[in-house]
Amino acid sequence: MATTVANRAIKARAKASPDRIQDNIQNDRYVKAGAIHTNDILHVAETEELSSNDLPGGNVSVPLSLWLEEKEAILARGGVVAVQIAADEAPADIADDLDRIDMIVLPFVNFVDGRSYSHAHKLRLRHGYAGEIRAVGDVNFDQLSFLTRVGVDAFELREGANHETALRAFNEFSEVYQPAADDGRLIFSRRRQVH
Amino acid sequence: MYQYDQVDKTIVSERVAQFRDQVQRHLAGELSAADLQPLRLRNGLYMQIHAHMLRVSIPYGMLKAEQMRTLAEIARKYDRGYGHFTTRQNIQFNWPELADVPDILEDLSKVEMHAIQTSGNCIRNISSDQYAGVAIDEIADPRPYCEILRQWSTLHPEFYWLPRKFKIAVTGASNDRAAVQFHDIGLEIIKNEQNELGFRVYVGGGLGRTPIIGKVIKEFLPREDILSYCEAILRVYNLHGRRDNKNKARIKILVKAMGIDAFRDAVEADWENFKDGELKLHDTDFETMQKFFPLPAYEDLSAGDARVEKWLNLDNRFADWYLNNTTAHRQAGYRIVNVSLKEHGIAPGDATDEQMDAMADIAEQYSFGEIRVTHEQNLVLVDVRESDLLEVWKALDAERLATPNIGSVNDMICCPGLDFCSLANATSIDIAKQINEKFDDFSELYDIGEVKLKMSGCMNACGHHHVGHIGVLGVDKKGEEWYQLTVGGDASNQAALGTHLGPAIAKDKVSDAISDILEVYREQRDDSERLVDTFRRVGIEPFKERVYQEVA
Repeated sequence: MATTVANRAIKARAKASPDRIQDNIQNDRYVKAGAIHTNDILHVAETEELSSNDLPGGNVSVPLSLWLEEKEAILARGGVVAVQIAADEAPADIADDLDRIDMIVLPFVNFVDGRSYSHAHKLRLRHGYAGEIRAVGDVNFDQLSFLTRVGVDAFELREGANHETALRAFNEFSEVYQPAADDGRLIFSRRRQVH
Repeated sequence: MYQYDQVDKTIVSERVAQFRDQVQRHLAGELSAADLQPLRLRNGLYMQIHAHMLRVSIPYGMLKAEQMRTLAEIARKYDRGYGHFTTRQNIQFNWPELADVPDILEDLSKVEMHAIQTSGNCIRNISSDQYAGVAIDEIADPRPYCEILRQWSTLHPEFYWLPRKFKIAVTGASNDRAAVQFHDIGLEIIKNEQNELGFRVYVGGGLGRTPIIGKVIKEFLPREDILSYCEAILRVYNLHGRRDNKNKARIKILVKAMGIDAFRDAVEADWENFKDGELKLHDTDFETMQKFFPLPAYEDLSAGDARVEKWLNLDNRFADWYLNNTTAHRQAGYRIVNVSLKEHGIAPGDATDEQMDAMADIAEQYSFGEIRVTHEQNLVLVDVRESDLLEVWKALDAERLATPNIGSVNDMICCPGLDFCSLANATSIDIAKQINEKFDDFSELYDIGEVKLKMSGCMNACGHHHVGHIGVLGVDKKGEEWYQLTVGGDASNQAALGTHLGPAIAKDKVSDAISDILEVYREQRDDSERLVDTFRRVGIEPFKERVYQEVA
């Protein structure tokens, strides 16, 4: 039947994305605590021969692998200490270093990949990380409120995003059903106190 | 029935506002179709062959009369006068306009309904036993647990972007009517030796391209740990499930790859960290929730009804309906009435707005205003007085809702198939019609007895063909529709996948092949054997021989 052809294209989905960012990410703004701020951090993509000597001046976030190999050199650079945990990596690999790190960066290659939500959750609740957790890459209006719930507190939006509109995203829900890394509580435990 | 409190109301109405905003941003060009897609899916809105399709959640298949009226009104106002009840106890509307969907969701919210997470790679509607609360074989009412799981899983921030969809089913009865062994998580309520309630937890079951029977991950999970344990399973899956190939992304593939023991170890290791934390439930939580599902105010009646007895002898049509479509109830003087949505010539599971309104009226008058949806795509009135059965039958019959074919070959499960679905390879609705026409002699149907016939238009298996006593799968062969048959699948406690009969069969020969299978069964059956029992005893060969002898 001819009509079946019309929406065949819908079936075609993007091929699987890589787990790591392929290029450096540099945004001029980021969102934190309900406001838009000027950004000065470059997120350096992982390459095979990357070493701390190659890092440009100024604030950078480094891939986890570089941190694990050269953490002393990175600390010696001064400035903001920021380490990326990619979707296929794990906060546990860096658990002992967390008190020396100012910022954990969670790079999103594709916003539909939800692994970093569990990373953020573990960083906050399992490892007690109190520094900044920043989502970068394919980060959009419609992910902001749940990312906030799992413990992400800074956002560099995808290129071309409307930052002013995005500020609205944090207020979409005033109630929650389950605990997360924010102060949300299990609905049944709240009701227990009422009854 | 569960009633929303202020928190539930706020979440659902804010969800409507959120979706309205997303649609407006899309129509204003700020949100691309590609970016809107996963968002609309998480509100049940698909793009199908001809139009959008909206899937509305019916948590564990329970509806109040007023909710059914709203569904009827939506079918009338925004659709073409009908809806399609699905194998996951939901309802789908096939023709809504995108711009209308926020209004539809708003109408739904007024009767405490929504379409949240009825699609997309997230935790879907919790399904359960359609006889929950009234079944004679029930250990405990599963509905309070279903509702607790529904709330916990709704807008769960960590598990909203899973590798693939995630389905949870709960049964509280010794005969599993919720197919829990074919779900991502299956929960079977059991009691331990101390008579405490808990769950046997299955993980990694499912149909689709790779049908797998769920494995037991926990023999006995105390009921207070249900949320934390599910959370641990979900976290391991979220982090480690495959994301590179959507055909291999379900949890069943992960469990198979890791092995159940390694998977269990990973879950238990994660669970250890938070099992006694905020997610631990208290006895009062279950008691509070159970109060939403009280026993109806049954009258003190004795079993049996003289007028029904009399009419069983006087009217064959009534007798056929009584015997096939009604079942025993725990409460003396009451029966469970199954309402067939398998009228001949109608797509299985479809109901018109008029039928939905009639169901609401009948439920209000005769069954405490409550209606259930079954995963076999029928409806149920669970609490009908025996003395009202004649009136209920007449009222249903007037709306063509009394076809006496529950449990028979004609009571088939069927996906929408190529007529509506953009994934399908083949038609399933045409085949349903062909089968209905072939088996139009009800006395023959009754002689054949219980046959679960399940049909899918493609390997995604929305029609659960793998677990049909007879399974039919539509395949595409060089642009033609062909059908592969299986025999001996079973979704109940004796979970089994069907055995392949042989090469695919041409479209116009499907009902002949099914007829052959049933003929072999009738020749070879012992005493009270059902088809599936005979198959277990004699194997596939006799069936195969007969079917292909004639085809060749």
